[in-house]
Amino acid sequence: MKTIRVGFMPLIDAAIPIAAVECGFAEREGLEIALVRETSWANIRDKLIHDLFDASHMLAPLAISTSLGIGNAKVPLAVPFGLNANGNCITLSARLYRAVEEVLGHSPVDARQSAQALKRVIDKRKLSGAPLINFAVVFPFSVHAIIVRHWLRLGGIDPHNDVLFQVVPPPFMVANLSEGVIDGCCVGEPWNSRAVESGVGSIVAFGADISRCAPDKVLALRDTMAAQEPEAIYRLLRAYRAAAHWCQDRENHGNLAHMLSQPQYLGVAPKTVLNALSGTLAVNRTEARSMQDFLVFEGDAINRPDPRKARWLYAEIMTGLRKPLDEAQAQEAAAVFRPDLFDAATGNNALPESQDPIGLKFGPAFDSDDLQSYAGALMQAAE
Amino acid sequence: MMDQASILIIDENHVRAAIIQDGLREAGHANVRWLNETSNLLKRIADIDPDVIIIDLESPNRDVLEQMFQVSRLVKRPIAMFVDQSDSAAIRDAMLAGVSAYVVDGLRKERVKHILDMCIQRFDVFSRLEEELHEAKTALADRKVIERAKGILMTAKALSEQDAYALMRKTAMDQKRRLIEIARAIVMAGEVLK
Repeated sequence: MKTIRVGFMPLIDAAIPIAAVECGFAEREGLEIALVRETSWANIRDKLIHDLFDASHMLAPLAISTSLGIGNAKVPLAVPFGLNANGNCITLSARLYRAVEEVLGHSPVDARQSAQALKRVIDKRKLSGAPLINFAVVFPFSVHAIIVRHWLRLGGIDPHNDVLFQVVPPPFMVANLSEGVIDGCCVGEPWNSRAVESGVGSIVAFGADISRCAPDKVLALRDTMAAQEPEAIYRLLRAYRAAAHWCQDRENHGNLAHMLSQPQYLGVAPKTVLNALSGTLAVNRTEARSMQDFLVFEGDAINRPDPRKARWLYAEIMTGLRKPLDEAQAQEAAAVFRPDLFDAATGNNALPESQDPIGLKFGPAFDSDDLQSYAGALMQAAE
Repeated sequence: MMDQASILIIDENHVRAAIIQDGLREAGHANVRWLNETSNLLKRIADIDPDVIIIDLESPNRDVLEQMFQVSRLVKRPIAMFVDQSDSAAIRDAMLAGVSAYVVDGLRKERVKHILDMCIQRFDVFSRLEEELHEAKTALADRKVIERAKGILMTAKALSEQDAYALMRKTAMDQKRRLIEIARAIVMAGEVLK
């Protein structure tokens, strides 16, 4: 039996690789998966590119930046499978949330209103000479960073000049919010709920408020591995697809929560995992909120890697860095997402039918054939 | 000759950090500092402004350091990851030892290599120490269980210490199991029958 070394971060969106092992989907494909828990995305990237892992759970934008050599050595990766859409939240510190409530005279009713109110808070702070507010995300290249920028623009806030960004590892988010080191963050569960429970923060937006199916985590491999061992990859993809189906089924959420909560995986209470799976979270001290597609594991728009999504990620990475786009580089980015591998493994022959691969709920429309206009509109929205 | 490159160690393990610091000083690196407080990490790094940063791979803070690759308002000098992109073997060695390094652009490669090699060596020394400690602890714990099992047998079957031990040995051999497993079973049974 072939053993594949797979890295993962202890997050709820590692559900598919974990279920692929625990439910026997990998074994059924004649595949042995050795799951290796990691502590940082930098470790994940380095161990994958230096052949200490064969495959890994990875931030979708990190797969693109690594392949293009942005921020590190250039090593082409292949993404044959998307692991999830959404599942993150934007949380404000208790102090900043109070300031938002004060300008509104009540709690914000939705993501748009909270961003607009934050704009007014920021303008007031500018007048009084207060320092810029600090937002934390989990990695420089993450869908978290992209989501926060979109949300800020929704309120008319310039993500490049009106706020500061920094990276804080998820386990340290709550402490940083409570100590006032950061004023807001975008992170996956259970960290937002922890902030709400302990009274140090309130959730103002779910990731799914910003976009319907922006890629969050993906399965990444070295490009050379995809070429050398296609059969092993196909088996892995079939196991992941079965696992995705199982993870999405609400009937299985109790079992999945129990599975993920074990010490060798996430090491948190099953109830905490179950809340995120159910999409019902306490968002502040008095209110809870439910969203059907808070975290989604299955669907062709999610699992089948659409190169248009890779182009979107590229445009977002470059505008985040405030660098001009380059069509040759965009094509290189698109080639990282490999629907051909997915199709060969699963026998899928349907082309993506969705007009809009990202499903942004506001802001400039995304057209993957016209990245320049999209990036230009983003930059303008930021001015 | 003393090397004046300023080296910053980020490691929450006090013992390991001390071992690495000593190693670097012995090798002639006079300018070594250690950070164990990692809140507001980038600001602390910017204040120290080191030439080389050594960080253990168990630390989630590696992701915080990744920001230094981008133009950051917090770090004054551009930072690169250690060694040539082509030098995969060196990076693998470091990762297997559990360490990673970030260096300021322009520092001579041989100097950095010397520092990192020393760190890898010291990380290995620490892992070995930890392993030995773990083995010693396990051996001690096992001996305690065996002693207790012996005591239970002596009382229950009115045996001498020597006979109780011999009985356990024989049972282990007959059942092709380790002595400690038999001892654990006896202790467990002893608890139940109490």
